[in-house]
Amino acid sequence: MTPRITAAMLVVRVRSLYREPSALFFTFAFPIILVLVFGTIFTRPEHLNFELPVQDNSGSEASAMLLKALTTDNAFTIIPIPPDADPRLYARENKRNLLLVIPKDFQVLHNERALKLDGTASVPVTYVFDPSSTSLGTKLQLLNTIVAAANQRYSGTAAFITLKPVSILASTYRFIEFFVPGIIAMAIMTSSLSSALNMNAELKQKGILRKLAATPITRTDWLVSSILYQLILSVISTVAILLVSYFVFNVRLNIGTWLPLIVVVEVIAFVGIGMTLTPLAREAESASAVSNAVLFPMMFLSGTFFPVEMMPGFLQTFARFLPLYYVNEALRASMIFADCAGTLWSVAILAAFAAVAFVAGTVLTRWGE
Amino acid sequence: MTRSTEHAIIVDHLSKRYGDLLAVDDVSFAVNTGEVFAFLGPNGAGKSTTVEIIETIRRPTSGTVTLLGMNIATNKAEVVRRIGVLPQGFSSFDRITVRETLSFYASVFRSLPDINALMDLTDLRAKANAQFKTLSGGLKQRVGIAAALVNDPDIVFLDEPTTGLDPHARRQVWQVLKGLKARGKTIFLTTHSMEEAEALADTVAIISKGRIVAIGSPARLTEKHTEQMRLTLKPGDAAVLDLVRRMGFSPTRTIDDGIAVSVPAADDVRAILAAIREAGLPPPLGLDVRKPNLEEVYLKLTGEQLAQTGQGGVQ
Repeated sequence: MTPRITAAMLVVRVRSLYREPSALFFTFAFPIILVLVFGTIFTRPEHLNFELPVQDNSGSEASAMLLKALTTDNAFTIIPIPPDADPRLYARENKRNLLLVIPKDFQVLHNERALKLDGTASVPVTYVFDPSSTSLGTKLQLLNTIVAAANQRYSGTAAFITLKPVSILASTYRFIEFFVPGIIAMAIMTSSLSSALNMNAELKQKGILRKLAATPITRTDWLVSSILYQLILSVISTVAILLVSYFVFNVRLNIGTWLPLIVVVEVIAFVGIGMTLTPLAREAESASAVSNAVLFPMMFLSGTFFPVEMMPGFLQTFARFLPLYYVNEALRASMIFADCAGTLWSVAILAAFAAVAFVAGTVLTRWGE
Repeated sequence: MTRSTEHAIIVDHLSKRYGDLLAVDDVSFAVNTGEVFAFLGPNGAGKSTTVEIIETIRRPTSGTVTLLGMNIATNKAEVVRRIGVLPQGFSSFDRITVRETLSFYASVFRSLPDINALMDLTDLRAKANAQFKTLSGGLKQRVGIAAALVNDPDIVFLDEPTTGLDPHARRQVWQVLKGLKARGKTIFLTTHSMEEAEALADTVAIISKGRIVAIGSPARLTEKHTEQMRLTLKPGDAAVLDLVRRMGFSPTRTIDDGIAVSVPAADDVRAILAAIREAGLPPPLGLDVRKPNLEEVYLKLTGEQLAQTGQGGVQ
């Protein structure tokens, strides 16, 4: 490797980037947009609120009590619907996935149970639902919890089993704190892999690699300059993500010596993988397809957006063969849990991935043939 | 002078195989130091493969190439420092200026060229701060030629340097090449253009189906491979065509509705014109008698269909 040549190529790449404003914008804007979007969604679960259409055929004091229970803690906002409306038709026409129907005899049956005239009296409150809706599960869970609490009150006895939360963490972390390291890992992976792959394919298609092949530039010079270039981008995007997370969502994470090390190893790994995949992308147009085919499964299977434990067993096993899984593990172990041993283990495996990718990238880069 | 110093390049029994395809088939030739050597051949004949092997970009299946006295297989690092390459359809980094592009290649070669002098040589000084993507095709080619010269190479390889250029831009590139030759550089030119080869080359090699089918100076090749003159008559009257045929010649229709006929001597031209007059046929409005040129040699040897580019070349 020749530092002079590597530096010359690095200068060309950096100049090309800052003279292409749209590329510059999207390189850094994409991860920041993700942080803002997901941060907004996940930092305010206490304000989780759903609209619930209710057809109150009873119109009684008892049904009013139930409606009040449903709005406790701002869980539901009640949307009254006319007593003469067909509930199923109303739900379909108004695109409602859950609708509650309180029967006419609700007050009577309530009184029988409350005044202990009939200890077995029960009242069916019908819910009309759309099983194809993704948010239905959450709404039903909430509804069941409120109904269970109401039943508890009707039974007149205190709950026997209560849950007491004890976190394994010293501080209380929100989901956004777990999410930010995943976004950092994903942003570096996307930029490193797709940029290495796209740039190689574009230069190959334009014939620039053929020109470079007839110069003293070696494949190692080329790979190292790509890694240094991606390192610059990765440092800037990581700092941007952390600053936006801190100033917008007050995200506080441990920023120690592990973070720079993990960033360096991740960049080497994914630039190497990008170079290794270059022979599959014969033209610039197919480079995006090749990089997407690798990036998207890796993104979703490595625990970036949701825990790996939520996936079927064989996919959990598969995830452990993906380098991004170890980046996520290492970043969370160091930035959230301050777990040195756990971080070291994940970084060691990631470094092995990086070494193999670097060697493969160097060997498989073909300029002339 | 030893063989290795009088020959800048010696290609010896070079072959390149891709699976079942033999792209270069036992090719041997030598390029003299300081000459312009033109390599002609149709698409897919093995031109670029041969040149890229000599440039060390590709590896041969068999055979050797000696460049400036060095075997390129064992001296790649030294060889690339002493050659300059303009690849076919040269391109560079879009957002990098002309001056920056030349500085980049100079850094790569660890050379300290006078960038201004290089830009003057290739008439690029006015575009020094223009980004590569904003340049016309001719200017891009000139950047490619300048980039091929940053290391002051002994041999310059130019792969189709004027393809796609307008006549004015072509002449400008030719002037640059003549300037390089005057400075004693050996130039290895790959081209489709017969006119270019005739105008610039000291030696021409014609490759067809992976084999060298002719090599020599343009004049010598023309003399050796063609004996007849070419007479063209316009318009191509059917009665004239029949008359010439009855005289024992083999006339053909040209694409612009004339009649072309190959004749061994000037007396035959006179005989044909006299026969037309005696038969009472209308005299031809257009008459052209040409000595054979390199293009006809090329056609004869390669059997390739010509498609005029308007530049006297073939595609």
